[in-house]
Amino acid sequence: MNIEDLPQLTQFQIDEQPHIVLDKEICRSCDHRACVQSCPANCFTFNEETLLMSVVYETCLECGTCYVICDKGALDWSYPRGGYGVCYRLT
Amino acid sequence: MAEYFDVIIVGAGPAGSTAALKLARAGLKVVMLERGKHPGAKNMFGGLLHNTPVLNELLPSFWEKAPLERHVYQKILSFMTPDSAVSLTFENENFKRPPYNGYTVFRAVFDNWLASEAVKEGALLLCDCTAEDLIQKDGQVVGVTVKGREGELRGNIVIAADGVLSFMAKKAGLRGDFRNADMGVGIKLLMGLPEATINERFHLVRDEGADISFVGTTDGISGGSFLYTNRESISVGMVLHLESLKASGKAPYEVLNELLRHPYIKKLIKGAVPLEYSAHLIPEGGIRAMPKVYTGGMMLAGDAAGLCYTNGINLEGINLAMTSGALAAETAIEAIEAGDSSARMLSSYKKRLDDSFIIKDMKTFKNAIGMMRMERLFQTYPQILTGILEKVYSVEGVPRSKLLRLARKEALKKLGLKDLISDGFKIGRALL
Repeated sequence: MNIEDLPQLTQFQIDEQPHIVLDKEICRSCDHRACVQSCPANCFTFNEETLLMSVVYETCLECGTCYVICDKGALDWSYPRGGYGVCYRLT
Repeated sequence: MAEYFDVIIVGAGPAGSTAALKLARAGLKVVMLERGKHPGAKNMFGGLLHNTPVLNELLPSFWEKAPLERHVYQKILSFMTPDSAVSLTFENENFKRPPYNGYTVFRAVFDNWLASEAVKEGALLLCDCTAEDLIQKDGQVVGVTVKGREGELRGNIVIAADGVLSFMAKKAGLRGDFRNADMGVGIKLLMGLPEATINERFHLVRDEGADISFVGTTDGISGGSFLYTNRESISVGMVLHLESLKASGKAPYEVLNELLRHPYIKKLIKGAVPLEYSAHLIPEGGIRAMPKVYTGGMMLAGDAAGLCYTNGINLEGINLAMTSGALAAETAIEAIEAGDSSARMLSSYKKRLDDSFIIKDMKTFKNAIGMMRMERLFQTYPQILTGILEKVYSVEGVPRSKLLRLARKEALKKLGLKDLISDGFKIGRALL
């Protein structure tokens, strides 16, 4: 499975309001950035040059791994508004 | 504008819908808030709905009506290393007869069906509604607000069945922060395969299904992998302990890809087409990580209450969820009849849980948590086991050793005697 194929595999109803908001200053000085590796949907990217963390909330599976694994309080994480976000057909 | 209900249920998953069904049948005014487009749209699990007597009590012979994939007849436990596998297969004729021992189901389909049964009994289902906050008055929960919507819902009792990340429990002060140490992440790839191919490949007839658990395929991370057969698809995935995943620095989907490439698995999934990828957290902290399950005007059920246990062989949650939903409903019915939804009144919910198999099983296997954190269990021991069998079966024209001597030699190649004794003690405490 190629994780890049996620948007073709799983259905999402994208909200214009992000349900994950980062405090990029905290991410910049984070000593592990475990969210980048641990996210099952590969939503987080840290740019080594600009030292900026970014998150693609559009393909978030809403599992909450990042929220639980982040011990710096850098994530403002909530469930998307009703009807938005991941929408499993089977699984 | 506030509408008034006897009971407000947050989350139309197995716990919430079971509670709603029971409450509606008792003639109470009950509403379920579901954040998905339909119940189950946000839910995922490995794939096995365990036989749950409470479901059969509420919906007799449910297996004839519910949208089930296959009943699980074959249980296989496999210890794996990158190039070998040792498997134990258990087949039992009793698992072929109703009420059966477990079924593979799709949550997006099953949860939707269970909620619709509650609606048939008169429960109100509001989809597309994410609960945002609790309304509290004089230390008592009296209602819920919905994200992005005007207005609020008020009621005598709130049952929070909002899943593993229960923000409702947190807002009520029933639990602290969610911790890595108490969580596992489950990931799964659903793959399509023709029914006839599945039957032939897994030696199954008609509706029979297989449940295969793998130990040693998580790249040294605490956890395990699984394969379940559905009617025309197979579910392959794994559960990884969050603390161990974080320490490994590995990406979950890369560990899953390694599993899919394992020679033993490759044969099983040959020709299968990826259909859907999903992920979800699992409350794995056991009884010691459970939140307080009630307060004035509110009870927690299912994953929200941390009701889940694993001992390495059994992994149960959905059956505990439905049972706890029914027990919360019983408590609510009693409380509403008495006109008292105080914490003291709702404390009988805790007693009901304690008296049920839920808390009894969680207590029985409370030490399994320590065992499941032993990373050696997920790499070193499968290596020792396959090493022993390789020696047993290899014919090399050299003199053989007796089994015990061989086992001791293989084990000591990988581990010190002290580690062996300490691990043996942990496993013994967990399971024996």
